[in-house]
Amino acid sequence: MDQFVQQIVTGLSIGSILLLVALGLSIIYGSMGIINLAHGEFVMLGAYAAWTFQHYFGLGLLESLVPIFLVVAICGWLIERYVLSFLNNRPLDTILATWGVGIILQQAVRLLVGGELRYVQLPASLSDSTELLGVQVSVYRIFLFFAALTLFALTWLLMNRTMVGMKLRAIIQDRSIAACFGVNARRIYALTFAYGAGLAGLAGALVSPLKSVSPEMGTGYVVDAFMVVVLGGVQSLAGTVFSSFILGELSGGIAFLENDTVAKTIVLLAIVVLIRFRPEGLFTTRVRA
Amino acid sequence: MSAYLELRDVSVSFNGFRAVNDLNMSVQKGELRCLIGPNGAGKTTALDLICGKTKRTSGSIVLNGTALDLLEEHQIARAGVGRKFQVPSVFKELSVSENLKVAQNRHTGVWSNLRWGIGKSDVESIDRLADLIGLRDELAKPAAYLSHGQTQWLEIGMLLAQGADLILMDEPTAGMTAQETRKTADLFLHLKGKHTLIVVEHDMGFVKAIGDLISVMHLGRVLAEGTAAEIEVHPDVKRAYLGSGGITNA
Amino acid sequence: MATYRSPDNPGSYRLGLQLAPIVVVSALVFLVPVFLDNDFLLNKLARYVVFGILAMSLSLSWGYAGILNLGQAMSFGLGSYALAMALKLKTVPIQTGSSGLPDFMAWNNVVTLPWFWVPFHSLGFALFAGVAIPAAVAAALGWFMFRGRVTGVYVAIITLATMVVINLVIIDQQRYTGGFNGLTDLAQLEVFGISFDAYGRSTYYLVACCLTATLLIAFAFTKSRAGLIIQAIRDHESRVRYFGYDVAVYQIFAFALSAAIAGLAGMLYTIVMEFASPTFLGVQLSLSVVVWCAVGGRQSLVGAFLGAVLVAGMQGALSESAAFLETWTLVMGGLFILVVIFLPKGIAGLAQTIRARVSQREDIHAVASEPLESTGGGYERLS
Repeated sequence: MDQFVQQIVTGLSIGSILLLVALGLSIIYGSMGIINLAHGEFVMLGAYAAWTFQHYFGLGLLESLVPIFLVVAICGWLIERYVLSFLNNRPLDTILATWGVGIILQQAVRLLVGGELRYVQLPASLSDSTELLGVQVSVYRIFLFFAALTLFALTWLLMNRTMVGMKLRAIIQDRSIAACFGVNARRIYALTFAYGAGLAGLAGALVSPLKSVSPEMGTGYVVDAFMVVVLGGVQSLAGTVFSSFILGELSGGIAFLENDTVAKTIVLLAIVVLIRFRPEGLFTTRVRA
Repeated sequence: MSAYLELRDVSVSFNGFRAVNDLNMSVQKGELRCLIGPNGAGKTTALDLICGKTKRTSGSIVLNGTALDLLEEHQIARAGVGRKFQVPSVFKELSVSENLKVAQNRHTGVWSNLRWGIGKSDVESIDRLADLIGLRDELAKPAAYLSHGQTQWLEIGMLLAQGADLILMDEPTAGMTAQETRKTADLFLHLKGKHTLIVVEHDMGFVKAIGDLISVMHLGRVLAEGTAAEIEVHPDVKRAYLGSGGITNA
Repeated sequence: MATYRSPDNPGSYRLGLQLAPIVVVSALVFLVPVFLDNDFLLNKLARYVVFGILAMSLSLSWGYAGILNLGQAMSFGLGSYALAMALKLKTVPIQTGSSGLPDFMAWNNVVTLPWFWVPFHSLGFALFAGVAIPAAVAAALGWFMFRGRVTGVYVAIITLATMVVINLVIIDQQRYTGGFNGLTDLAQLEVFGISFDAYGRSTYYLVACCLTATLLIAFAFTKSRAGLIIQAIRDHESRVRYFGYDVAVYQIFAFALSAAIAGLAGMLYTIVMEFASPTFLGVQLSLSVVVWCAVGGRQSLVGAFLGAVLVAGMQGALSESAAFLETWTLVMGGLFILVVIFLPKGIAGLAQTIRARVSQREDIHAVASEPLESTGGGYERLS
């Protein structure tokens, strides 16, 4: 029984990390149709930002979250403005361009800061572990779980209850008509991409104390994030939540039962089959005519 | 006597919206049928259903004994159906002559197309087609550089090259000048008989000039059918589409 | 039917013009050993030519058929492993001495040779398999994708995911595949009495011959009617169906042909490098192929080849110094982005674009000097 509960808890923990990372990607891919292969690098930037704030400014992780969000969001804004805006309606070229951006970001960090592993401290207030349902869990992981859900709620509110969100949804439906009604698509896209990047940065910062920080850390996250988004349904925020936790449980469970490789393989194959037979994802209800 | 093309109780719905609602239509071989009606009547959808772009939810579509609704698009094309789309669809990066070659090609399998060059008679027919559609001097030009009207003509030319028995035209004169429209009318009258044509149109003068029978569609089904004279005085048609001014004022 | 040259394709002159780059490049590749006597450099150059063949195979799939295969390295790696397995088995008596198993299997306590290794005792089979297996896998994957009308971006994702899966499996099953270290300590390839030493001229000329052969095969395909149709499919996939063509079959064919050529390149790579490794099926290599192709020109066979030689060559030259390499990667990333945005047809396309712009300007001048005709509406014929 203990094993079982431990499994569930581990799965929830993995799921919340997946959600954090995938949320930004879901926004960008879901609303702009952009497959951002540099998403992992945004996560990496957030982690390095956390390390920089801690190392050079003595700021704790929690205090630096807002500046980190802003820093990475600005990066995202610049990339959208000076690279992606040239590639409207060229989805394949967008993939390639974002991959190039990812390379540049990785290399730039490597050149500026060096490729050695860096470490970010856990916030002192959250560094204990506690007992939950008879199982030992780190408080920080519980914090991550709630942080993920909070960010999701915040994002949902932004999308569905604000003017900006409404304009974005209008553009997704029909860009030219929205423009006829005075919606500045250019600006909304830039803001959206920046927001998605900022979220990724936050994810990187939040996740950084758990593992070491290195220029290559992003690549692993990008694959996982895409799996979540494709599974959950490309235009469904709620779907992203569900699929994060489903995948979290699945990969935790499979990794426990078999090994990591089998887990990854099965998930990848499942994604392939899903794309082929239900490209709109598991949780999308509207089907295009 | 069963018709050449028979649509029986055909319906299709998109997310609950019935774009085509128990459509019944019979077209005889060699006929030139015009399909008119207000926007949203389902005219383009009807053509989509015939050529396979959209799958019907219920009903049957039979061409000369072959059930089209069970086939895939390319099989429907091989059964003798050609379609000209509302938005001119040609291959933009290929040259005009290459566009015509793709359409004209009678072999459709991969292995039979591992071949180079085309026969002399095919080349001559491409030249003749190019003359007909006024693109003789543009044969080497990539289709992307053609004007809108020229692209329309190229697509018409490709349909002719394809040599389909049943030709579906969706607003072929959109964007054409009066002179070009007249030329299109002449072309269609010339094609009638050897080919069967279904033409969706809004230009009533054009319709009057070419159509034997006109089918008026409204809300996904056929509202009325008849010659231009009969349609003009039909009360339902006047109410739904033409207004009191008659065909020439629509 | 007699072949007839139509007016816009004045036969032999036009064909000759298009074949010229292939002839020139092939000749240059063949002539290098005449001027270069350094075995080590020849081996390096052979490596780049192999990359060129690989890039050219992707241009067939991506530039001509519109299928972006982010897992092109999978076919490359499969071909490479096929030959490596046969060459490994040729060393068996020397390297192990017990029951004829490759050394790494003996170390892993494997008792009998796995079934999928057995056919590779025959070199002939391996040479066939190096091309046939990648083609078959591609055909199967293609059937899975294209019959389901999966297109564009999703194809890219599926091909990438499939390659990652195979990569993972190979690394994981190290008792049977050599795992992370790959297949090393291979025998030398010997065919018809010719021995192909990685640093010898015979290997270099073998690579050069394969280059010419594959270029001609790919060229022949693109110039055939099927090649024209596949380009129409790239242009407007759904429209092609309404002309009676089963689009999926064409896509599968182009996809498999591209994979076969990549597989051949993989086999050559095994000879040149003297080992096979999971990195040959890796994301890094696969994406590099895309970069080479994009830079050189995805719609040009020779362009893609030159792109690979150029970029891989520069990278090789700069890899002497670690600092250079890091900066080079950064610069390469930037250049890649610029190419993607502004030169979608790569460097090869640049010449084409210039030619097109010039002729467009000529047309505009022609129109401006023509008297206005009554065909109205600004739709003058641009002749």
